[in-house]
Amino acid sequence: MPNQIVAVRNGSKPAKRGRRRQKYSRALIHENLELYAIMLPVLLLIFVLCYVPLYGQLIAFQDYTPGAPILSFDGQTQWVGWKYFNQFFTSPYFGRVVSNTLILSFYNIIFGFWIPIVFALLLNELKNLAFKKFVQTASYLPYFISAVVVAGMVLSFISTDGIVNDLRALTGAKRIDFSTIPSYFPMIYTSTNVWKSFGWNSILYLAAISGIDPTLYESAKLDGANRGQMVWYITLPMILPTIAIMLIFQVGSILGSNTDLVLLLYNPAVYDTSDVIGTYIYRYGLLNGQFSFGAAVGMFTSVMNFGLLFIANTISNKLTNYGLW
Amino acid sequence: MLTKAKEMNNKIHEGSKAVDAVIVFLMILVCFITLYPMYYVLILSVSDPLEVAAKSVYFWPKGFYLDSYRVLCTDMKMWNSYLYTVIYVVADTALMLLTCVLCAYPLTSKHLLGKKFVVAFLLIPMYFGGGLIPTYLLMVKLNLYNNIWAIIVPGAFSIWNIILVRTFLNSIPETLREAAFIDGASHFKVLFKIYLPLSKPILAVIAIYTSVGVWNSWFNAMVYLPNENIQPLQLYLRRVLIDQTVNLAQLPAAEVEAAVRKQLSNMQLKYAMIIFTTLPIIFTYPFFQKYFVKGVMIGSLKG
Repeated sequence: MPNQIVAVRNGSKPAKRGRRRQKYSRALIHENLELYAIMLPVLLLIFVLCYVPLYGQLIAFQDYTPGAPILSFDGQTQWVGWKYFNQFFTSPYFGRVVSNTLILSFYNIIFGFWIPIVFALLLNELKNLAFKKFVQTASYLPYFISAVVVAGMVLSFISTDGIVNDLRALTGAKRIDFSTIPSYFPMIYTSTNVWKSFGWNSILYLAAISGIDPTLYESAKLDGANRGQMVWYITLPMILPTIAIMLIFQVGSILGSNTDLVLLLYNPAVYDTSDVIGTYIYRYGLLNGQFSFGAAVGMFTSVMNFGLLFIANTISNKLTNYGLW
Repeated sequence: MLTKAKEMNNKIHEGSKAVDAVIVFLMILVCFITLYPMYYVLILSVSDPLEVAAKSVYFWPKGFYLDSYRVLCTDMKMWNSYLYTVIYVVADTALMLLTCVLCAYPLTSKHLLGKKFVVAFLLIPMYFGGGLIPTYLLMVKLNLYNNIWAIIVPGAFSIWNIILVRTFLNSIPETLREAAFIDGASHFKVLFKIYLPLSKPILAVIAIYTSVGVWNSWFNAMVYLPNENIQPLQLYLRRVLIDQTVNLAQLPAAEVEAAVRKQLSNMQLKYAMIIFTTLPIIFTYPFFQKYFVKGVMIGSLKG
């Protein structure tokens, strides 16, 4: 009797008398020990390098000096609450830094988001497969050139004796040093960024397009649709999920994604339009050693980004029924 | 089969010839935009310095002078960076393959207890990061600062890749594993004797992603490696091309060379450096195309 009750409760097969009574047999435990042993080194690595810094974020609320413990109960850590957050919000650079970050990110979305999509759509229309492959391969060459080399090339091209000024001189214009004029920076940065990434980003859309059932196109053709209509009524709706997800990702990193390239392209003369949150944290938080301040700004950024991600995902779910979760 | 697909493809995309021409023209423009900058750098680096100074080089090289490259070959700091970059690439690629496989395999077993927690454990850091400052402080505390492990250890794993490998391993039929169990094999044996050989496709993808990524990386090195002797190539390039703290024209060399070198502009030397360090990538990436595309496709299906 007791065996059957146990069996019904666990939902497993009725246990033999005396033997596999427990849900977790010894064999299962042994197997799990082995599986966890295999995973353990990596899980440990992830814990140390991904989770421990999360705990280190606490210094954003402290007056941290290197060597001081982060968590102690004997008054060694000095908690200062929102002091550094306030310092950031009231800093004279707050407005500049946040607006630059937002502006550069928006430019990136406005120009950089649709270009890979349009490129993928156009590429898809090419009939000569060899030419198509060639264009595709050429389009992601910039992705494989390192950011340092790309920035080096750009800075050289826009310098006073670089090719851009050479071409301008041919038309009689005066040579300008574009790299030191703040108003040119957003354009230089955005075009470099889009140039470097549009080919690679288009791969995803091309993959999505190639997965569309060709019979849809055939029946549309029988109904008399031309190419433009086929793109608008078939291709685009079919890749809408991919587009939505990519857009959500872009929105979710508005405040943080552009540090690398900006760091390579900017210089003090153009901080007015180029200093973004990431570079600000790097200079003040790291180079200047204001660790608590840097951590506070960083935490502000991640929380904001997550909030934006959440909002973008919710909107996408409401509008198109697609989202990250 | 292939011609039928091609036929179908061509039929679908039938349209006005004018539109076809416009599209082809646009695509040629795209090729020009993506290929010309590098090409310009190349022809400038091998051209006669006098022609370069006269600003007459745009579409083909004028003269053929390899002096810039000869000067570069004497740059010991560059060779040193090259060496360390190779070390970082090899170490990190090997470690990445190992960590991916070790972490992904147990996640494919139906018997794993607490699988949901492990997956959550892996997914959370993808949304919440520690930030630059806390990570920096941790690396210093762990003695990973200013030595080669500062690059190798963080680069040895990637949660995204683990998930990629898991998706791939999930497609290997369970029956293989069950048959091995009946024969008395442990999970360890199953992993290394059955799953690993079958994972060659995804491992190739990850190996290439990782190699390219490490080759091109510089930010971590900038933050954690003040010691110039162990800096990777991209960081050295940054000093040359952007910080301008390395003046290539002042490299020590023979007297004869020095006279020639005075004519070479700093720009040509820099361009030669760019070509010299980027050529390996340019020559190899077209052959690995199918791997990248496959990686993107598997990654997008992760769901």
